[in-house]
Parts: sequence; structure tokens; C-alpha cells
Amino acid sequence: MSTTEKAQESQGRQRRVRPHLNLAPVIGIGAVLLAALVITPGFFSSANLSLVLFQVGFIGIVAIGQTLVLISGGIDLSVGAVIGLTSVIIATQSDGADQRLPWALLVAVLAGAAVGAANGALVLVRGVPPFVATFATFVLVQGVIMWWTGGAPSGSIPGALGPLGSGRLLGLPVPVWLFAVLALAGAVLLARTTFGRRLYASGANPRATTMSGIRTGLVVGSAYVACALLAVLAGLVYAGYIGYVDAELARTLNLDSIAAAVVGGVALTGGRGHMGQTLAGVVLLSLLVVWMVQLGTGPGGRFAVVGAAILVAALSQQHKLSFRSLSAKGGRSR
Amino acid sequence: MTMAQGRGRSLLTVTAVAVLALAGCSTQREGTNSSANGSGACEGSSDASAQYKQTWRKSASALGLSDVEAPPLEVCQVDTAEYATEPGDDGYQVALAAQGPTNSWALTNEEAFRYAAEQRDVEVLYASANGDATKQVDNIQQLAAQQPDAMVVVPMGPGITGQVRAAAQQGTPVVLCAGRLEGNHGAVTTVTRSYEMQATLWAEWLIERLDGQGKVAMLSGIPGVPTAEYQKAAAEKVFAKEPGIKVVAKEYTDWSPTRAKTVAASLLAKYPDLDGIWSDSAISDLGVVQAYREAGKSVPPLTGDSSNAFLKAVQGSDVPFALSAFPPEMSTQCLDVALDVLKGEPVPDFVNVEAAAFTDEQLKDYVRPECTDNLWVPSRLPQALLTELGLC
Repeated sequence: MSTTEKAQESQGRQRRVRPHLNLAPVIGIGAVLLAALVITPGFFSSANLSLVLFQVGFIGIVAIGQTLVLISGGIDLSVGAVIGLTSVIIATQSDGADQRLPWALLVAVLAGAAVGAANGALVLVRGVPPFVATFATFVLVQGVIMWWTGGAPSGSIPGALGPLGSGRLLGLPVPVWLFAVLALAGAVLLARTTFGRRLYASGANPRATTMSGIRTGLVVGSAYVACALLAVLAGLVYAGYIGYVDAELARTLNLDSIAAAVVGGVALTGGRGHMGQTLAGVVLLSLLVVWMVQLGTGPGGRFAVVGAAILVAALSQQHKLSFRSLSAKGGRSR
Repeated sequence: MTMAQGRGRSLLTVTAVAVLALAGCSTQREGTNSSANGSGACEGSSDASAQYKQTWRKSASALGLSDVEAPPLEVCQVDTAEYATEPGDDGYQVALAAQGPTNSWALTNEEAFRYAAEQRDVEVLYASANGDATKQVDNIQQLAAQQPDAMVVVPMGPGITGQVRAAAQQGTPVVLCAGRLEGNHGAVTTVTRSYEMQATLWAEWLIERLDGQGKVAMLSGIPGVPTAEYQKAAAEKVFAKEPGIKVVAKEYTDWSPTRAKTVAASLLAKYPDLDGIWSDSAISDLGVVQAYREAGKSVPPLTGDSSNAFLKAVQGSDVPFALSAFPPEMSTQCLDVALDVLKGEPVPDFVNVEAAAFTDEQLKDYVRPECTDNLWVPSRLPQALLTELGLC
């Protein structure tokens, strides 16, 4: 067995020996559903559940990309800007004409890939911390949008994109179908492929992984590009949902994707997490978002509840780390 | 990686994300209305007070409201003799501490100012705040250091008050434009359209439309931003006086049609029998209309400012609405008032900008199908400039 294979096998064994069965988000989902049943019985109307599914789609698509980046040991704060940029590109390049949509899509994908590659290059080549690198990209893309459009993007969103954002398939919102397919693909990618094992290894211990012969730069860089491309898809979904260039989209950090992954149990420290956790986090966050509106708490309540959920998730991760570390110490002492 | 490193990194990241979340809540274009500036010599003026009231009456009348009176406000006439100065060889030099072209309203606001300045041989010193009050503090400081003849400030938030006062204290006459500051800011005058007036007229129109009975939802922009909060507070006062009107929900849309659509869909699920929607933005209304249409329901009466995008979206439909413009071109009026100050002419300490107010019955008089969604209607800018800006 080569050194590389040994490293991958080691990572894989580690995951099998210590499965991350984080029940917190599942318990959270149950608690929210129970509370909603008691406090706001109308929450379970079909219209409301449809809203939750839309939210699952909107938040989930980006959260899949964010999960890949988090597992690689990074974080991507530029997704909001990429979503906004996609909307602007589609409007300006197609001017609302369906026949020009393929060209606009090509430009949007290339732009998204460029942003992802820039993030990866800043982190891997220049050694800039992911938090700083991707925030810089977020600001840079905003500047490019402003410089390019002068603050007033021209053009409009082609009608052909409409079904992507607001359409339904077999009674369920199209965005949730997209999320389901992508989450399944992501789960297979992480659990059953060499790339997945290398991603975990790169996030858990990049130095050891590099020394074992794995090109961690390529692996981690791919995660950033994949995240940016999923943000492009989210931008297309948003554009189809509203049918306008929403200037505010590019100005928000879109932290929901990070929140969903972290609440689900994906580690901020890299190397741990899986799509099942992201799915649980996305569902919990979507339920909370819609339920907060139902409760009429206003944005204060929403921010407070989502913030509290993130903190609880982060603290529970630390607790697990402490426990493991103590166990490890105990093992060594013996 | 050690446990300590992992924990430290985790905590650092969570903290940083939280900080960024707060930083993301920056301000946009700012507040309106009113008075007391603290610049000194100010005498009550019947003409100025009459102008203030007349703007209320005209706007109310345009929405078919006959018995809406402006709340009492004493508008003073400011003696500006101390600021009188002759123009230099290149004309007057006026600084513009602007919002920055973060959206089409701000873009039009600034381009209208530049255009008017060019027409009047005024040299413009420009600084963009990029929608951020903190950045504007630096901008005002830097502009004041260049000692312009006058300064026009589009205020981004109360955080700039001290810097405006400092600029005024060094002898630069300051005109607050399309927004307002509270307390002792030192500006000579405030030129804007009263937010309280806008909010009150929208609320009164809804009450009249609903015959004083029904469930109403309120949609405001960004929480904590004075523009949104002043208007919300004013509308709440009006609704509170109507026992038949029940405000069942108060939500924020971030002035984003996407967010507005999600919020409206949620409201629709909870209150399928909503009778009216008080909204402070026609951009948000775009999302509201879509949510109702996708649910297959009639859009209830709603309000907002005056966007071509909204008018184009509802043209040919039976959506009932009342809009009152917050015209970006008011920057032209701000410049004119600044020039009056430099000539030593007395100016009111508050100018309530006149603008169009209309209902769905006058839609065809205001919609510009040949222009883009970014146009704020009705526009007083020349066609050539609108074309140059890509608005028409």
C-alpha cells in the first residue's frame, strides 16, 4: 500500500471508528415542529410547508458548497456576492431574451468559477486565511458590480429562468428538487470517492496529507470552485424566483449557508461533517426562518434565534472536541 | 491540529462571522422631514411654514384625501448673510458628501446633482460613502479640509452628526439633502421630502380605501435605518387612531424584492384575508405582487414610493395602490438652496420637497414602458441624461 493510500485509509478508518452522530439538529427540528404545533397550529398548512421547502432549496444549494469548503478547512464568505453577480450577468447579457440565456449562463459560470479559483489561489498560493481571502473577494466583487453597472444594472431576467426559481415539479418547489439531487451527489462524492477522502484528509491535517503525496491544493481549490459554482446556481434560482436584479442580494453576506452547515454539525475546524448534517441544518434553519415570520418576531427574533442555534452548535462541537481530546490523553497515558 | 488550536479557530471563526453579520447591516439612503438645525439665527417664517403645509395638502389631495392636515411645525427663515461670498474664477465650489451609487436611486440622485452643477457653473467636490455612515464621517472630514464654499450632505445615519457640526463650525454652510439629522447638527437647512408625510399619506389612503375597517400588514425596509423607522413610527401613529384597523404584522423586507416575496408569502399563509399592505417601498411591492399572483389571490391595496419597475409590473392589472415619490432629483433643489445660502439670501431651515403622489387610476400618466426598471418616476431629468445613464 502506498503512503497516499495509507493516509486515505487512515482517514477513512478514523471516520468509521468515530461516526459523527450529532443528534442536536434532529432534536432541534423535532423541538421546533412541536413548539409550532402548540403555539402556531397554522404553521402546518400546505402553503406554509411549501414556503419551508422553498427556503430549504434556497439555503441548501449554497450550503452544499459551503459544506465542501468547511470540510476542506476553509470558509467561503463570497457566496452572497457571487449570487448577486450572477443575477447582474444574466440580466445584462441576456436583456430578458430567452435565446441569449445560454450565452449569459456561460458568462455567469465562468465568472463564478473565476471567483472560486481566486478564493482558492488566495488561500493556497498566498496563504491568506480563508476568512480574510473570501471576505476580500466579497468586497471586490461588489466593487466590480458597482463599477460595471454604475449602481443601476441594465437588462432584465429572461422568463425561461422563472420555473427554476418559482416552478413546481410533482407538487414540490423546483429549488428543493435541485437541492435534493445536489445533496445526494455531494453525499456520494464525500463518502464514496477518492476526492471525498482526500477532502477530509486535507481539512483534518493538511500538512500530513500533503506529505503523504496528495495534492491538497488541487483538492481544496476544487472545493472553492465548486462552492462558487453552486452559488452561481443559487443566483440563477433567485433570479428565476423574483425575475428582477435584486441589488440587495449582492450586498448581503448570505451567512445562512454557513449557519446551516454549522448548525447541522459540520466542523468549522475542517475535516469533519457530512451532507446528512447539512441537510438537517438546512431543514432546521428553514423551519426557524418561516416560523419566526409566523410568530411575528420581526428580524430581531430571527437573528437572535438563528444566532443562538449557531452558538449552541459551535459550543457542542467544542464540547465534543474536549471529550475526544481527554479520551485521547487517557489512551496515551495507558 | 491540537484541541486548543481547533477550539481557538472555531471560536475565532464564529466571532468573526458574528461581527460580519453585524457589519452587513449597513445603512442606505436616509431620513426625511423636519426642523431644528441648531445653526443659530432662525426666525419663524409664515411663508416657509406655508410651503411646508402646502406640500402636505397637495400630496394629500393627489391621493384623494381631503381632511389630512400637516402636523404643526414651525419652519424658520435662516439669515445666511454670514455665508455670503462671491464665486471664484471657476464659479462656486460645492462639496457633495453622497451616498454613492449603490442603487439606481442614489445613482440618479448624484447624476442629477452633477448635471445641475454643470448648468450653474458650479465645481463639484465629490465623495461616495458607499451607503455607509462610518465611511461618510471620513468623507465629510476630507471634503471640509478642502474648504469648499458650501457642502451638501446626503446623510447616511445619525453617526455623522458630529462631523457635520464640525464642518459647520469651521464656517462651511452645510445643506442636508434627502435625509435629516436630529439634534445639534449645525447645518443651515434640510431639503428633503418629509418621511412622516409619506408614511401618513400612505396610511390615510389605506384607511380610506378600507373604509376604516380591516387587517393591515406593515412592511418596512431595513431595521434600524432611520428612513425605515421614521416612516414606520409615523404610520403606526395613524393606524393607532383607527379602532377599525388592526395591524396584524410588522415585517422588514430589506428593500429587497426577493425578501419581500418570501415575507409576503409567509403573511399570505398566516393571514389569507389580509385587507391591505402598508409598504414603504415600491421595490418591495414587486415581491408582494408576485407572492399574491403565484398564490392565485388578488393583491390587496398597497402603498410605496414611485418606481417604474412596479408600475410596469402592475400595468394592465387591477392592483390597487397609492404611491408617493421620493424623487432622487431633489439633489438639484439641494444645490439651489446651497447657492442661495452663498448669495446670502434667507432660506427656510426645512424645505419639504414637492413630488408626485398618485394612485392606480393615474398609472398610465406615470409609467414609462420605454424606460428601464431602474427609473424613478416621474423623472425631471432631460431625456439625453436619462439615455446616457441607461435609464431610458
